Amino acid sequence: MARREDVFISLSAGLTGYSPVRLIGTGMCDQYLAELGKVLSDGMVDEFLSAYARPPADGGCSVLKVLRDARWGPVARRVMILWYCGTWTALPESWHAVHGASSADTDHVVSAEAYQAGLQWVAAGAHPAGARQQGFGAWALAPEGV
Amino acid sequence: MTADMTHDVVVVGAGVAGSLIARRLTTEGLRVLVLEAGPATPSTFEGYLQHVQTFYAASGKGAESAWPPAIGAPQPDARDLRSDNGYFVQRGPLKYGSTYTRAQGGSTLHWLGVSLRMLPEDFELRSRYGRGRDWPLRYQALEPWYRQAEREIGVAADVADQTHHGIEFADGYDYPMRRIPPSYSDIVLAAAVDGMSVRLGEDEIRLKVRSYPAARNSIPRDGYRPVGAVDIRPDGLGRDLYLGERCAGNTSCTPICPIQAKYNAGKSLARANPAYLTVLARAVASKLHVDPVSGEVRGVEYQRYEDTSSPRHTVHTAHGRIYVLAAHAVENAKLMLASGLGGASGMLGRNLMDHPSIYGWGLAKAPLGPYRGPLSTSGIDDMRGGAFRARHAAFRVDIGNDGWRPTTGAPDTTVVDAVQTRGLYGADLRRYLESTLARQVRFSLNAEQLPSAANRVTIDPRYLDAMGNPRPVISYDIDDYTLAGMAEATRVYREVFSRAGIEDHTDPEHSTWFPEVPYAGGTMRYHGMGHFAGTHGMGNDPESSVVDVDQRSWEHRNLFLVGAGSFPTMGTSNPTLTMAALALRTADRLIAEMGRSSHRQQPYRREQGRSRDLSSGGYTEDRPPEGLGDRL
Repeated sequence: MARREDVFISLSAGLTGYSPVRLIGTGMCDQYLAELGKVLSDGMVDEFLSAYARPPADGGCSVLKVLRDARWGPVARRVMILWYCGTWTALPESWHAVHGASSADTDHVVSAEAYQAGLQWVAAGAHPAGARQQGFGAWALAPEGV
Repeated sequence: MTADMTHDVVVVGAGVAGSLIARRLTTEGLRVLVLEAGPATPSTFEGYLQHVQTFYAASGKGAESAWPPAIGAPQPDARDLRSDNGYFVQRGPLKYGSTYTRAQGGSTLHWLGVSLRMLPEDFELRSRYGRGRDWPLRYQALEPWYRQAEREIGVAADVADQTHHGIEFADGYDYPMRRIPPSYSDIVLAAAVDGMSVRLGEDEIRLKVRSYPAARNSIPRDGYRPVGAVDIRPDGLGRDLYLGERCAGNTSCTPICPIQAKYNAGKSLARANPAYLTVLARAVASKLHVDPVSGEVRGVEYQRYEDTSSPRHTVHTAHGRIYVLAAHAVENAKLMLASGLGGASGMLGRNLMDHPSIYGWGLAKAPLGPYRGPLSTSGIDDMRGGAFRARHAAFRVDIGNDGWRPTTGAPDTTVVDAVQTRGLYGADLRRYLESTLARQVRFSLNAEQLPSAANRVTIDPRYLDAMGNPRPVISYDIDDYTLAGMAEATRVYREVFSRAGIEDHTDPEHSTWFPEVPYAGGTMRYHGMGHFAGTHGMGNDPESSVVDVDQRSWEHRNLFLVGAGSFPTMGTSNPTLTMAALALRTADRLIAEMGRSSHRQQPYRREQGRSRDLSSGGYTEDRPPEGLGDRL
């Protein structure tokens, strides 16, 4: 069986639209897996990853299968926000009622590093506000791709 | 209670006004004690960087997020506005939407840095337009100190851009640094907007996107050396870091410039003459003692705390020949009222103003490259002055470089919307965000507010903070004159959006929450600009003003109340530069009065390095950073 990091990166690439190399390059994989473990429990994270790693019986898309799953869809959407924003968004009460609650499941910034690593800044063609400065006058140039 | 310390001048508040006065007076050999209610701000760069980390990890990234307050010196916070359970007691009818920071450095720790002069006509609003009040001095009388202020806080701009609306500069003058380069978004918008005209009543006004003067470091002129990051180590010696001598585009003027390329008051304190300066942070001025016969101030009682998370404190009194309240428009009024010094005119605490502002946001057709660069580098200034001011408020259109961040909480909320509401994922999600985020544009429309006696700061013994000091009780309304200006500003931004091909997405129902005000059968949402002013307005007549043209109290002749509280009217410029010019002018008056070198006082200390002259733990400024001497 593949390492859980590899499965997580593969799933995350399908969810975010960024390549595995790009995601690994953020350096956040271990921290995000650990964060998921805190919010859900490590055992539940393994179940989540297994749900993705098992090829769908109908031969369809594994990412879509996870997103459509009543239990794992809400988690997968929060994983997208995690990669883009570096924040965790609490799961809804209705999810807790069925699948269990955790005191760590709150809205929060995962860490100072996670804030800076957010893919939203890459998508904007920019840089995280307050970090990774682009240099004097860089803002006067057209953004990348224009 | 202990009575201690004798100084030439006791300054309450280590923000921009207090720090500029302290620097100028100590340079002339006057002994100055600065009492700062809030926590000390680290003088080492390493310490400062901890505030940057605090900001990174903060869940809300508002103006206060890098600067947590002390229990002993609570402050307003934008997050408390809706729930109404913050530091202010809001009496209404409307909510006062602005906040400030109580810490060494004050709100300059997180200000935007825009440093517009007021217009000549702003000083003569009553004479010219029959509205508001006139100032007791004219633009030309203040102009020399505008120049000094621009050098002291380090303003980047080109005179060639700023000579309009009757603003005149001294012959041969230009700003100490060249203008901050306009953003790509400014350039694209200017190409679409420049030359278009809008109507304000009878007036046809031609628009131009114009570079904003800003206290951010840029390319210096004529031998000026930009003042970068302060780094005074525990040995008392400053290190010259060469850091922050140019803005590097951190896109984070608010809440913290990570390299101190933007002015903060700590730079002025660091450049004061350390032998004559004592800065005592965590010292809350709680009462002025006044001689009942002469009216002169005899001492400032202050509460000293060590632990920012506890209300435990000890009480002391500081004595000087002259007292300067530079604690903030609200805090100055609060301290006077708490001392029983409301005054015979009844004006103290009244005429509280702000720039009530409206956001307009939209999506451009092509990428404008937001989320890069200083948060605002240009604006549309053409509605700051004109005959229409007889009918409605003037306003300024501030162009943002940070997308929809202030209005909706983007880019995070754009991501959440794409994922949760639009159901996007994978390549579609990425493409959508790349396309959307890069096209976000935001205007902030800042309207002038006139003085009104009913808008005021009071105190009430029922509302006290943890150390027993009164919380500000605020009554606030926005009158029809200003509301009409806000409505016109709304119409103008829509015309500009339309001209520039920007699709209007302004939707206060799906944005960050802002207070609302009914107008003309509809509702406007407004936000504060942090521009508190007017609570101790200056004038020529003790019956209708609190301080004279020198910011000296009419009733207490050795007491000065400085800052935007002294403004009789606001105009449309953000107040810091004018506040700085007035502070420098007051400092010059004090020097003339108290004697220059002929009466030079003994310094507090002569020895090299750090000295510990005060109750332990007080942050004391010491030697200027090496290599800064030539800039003093």
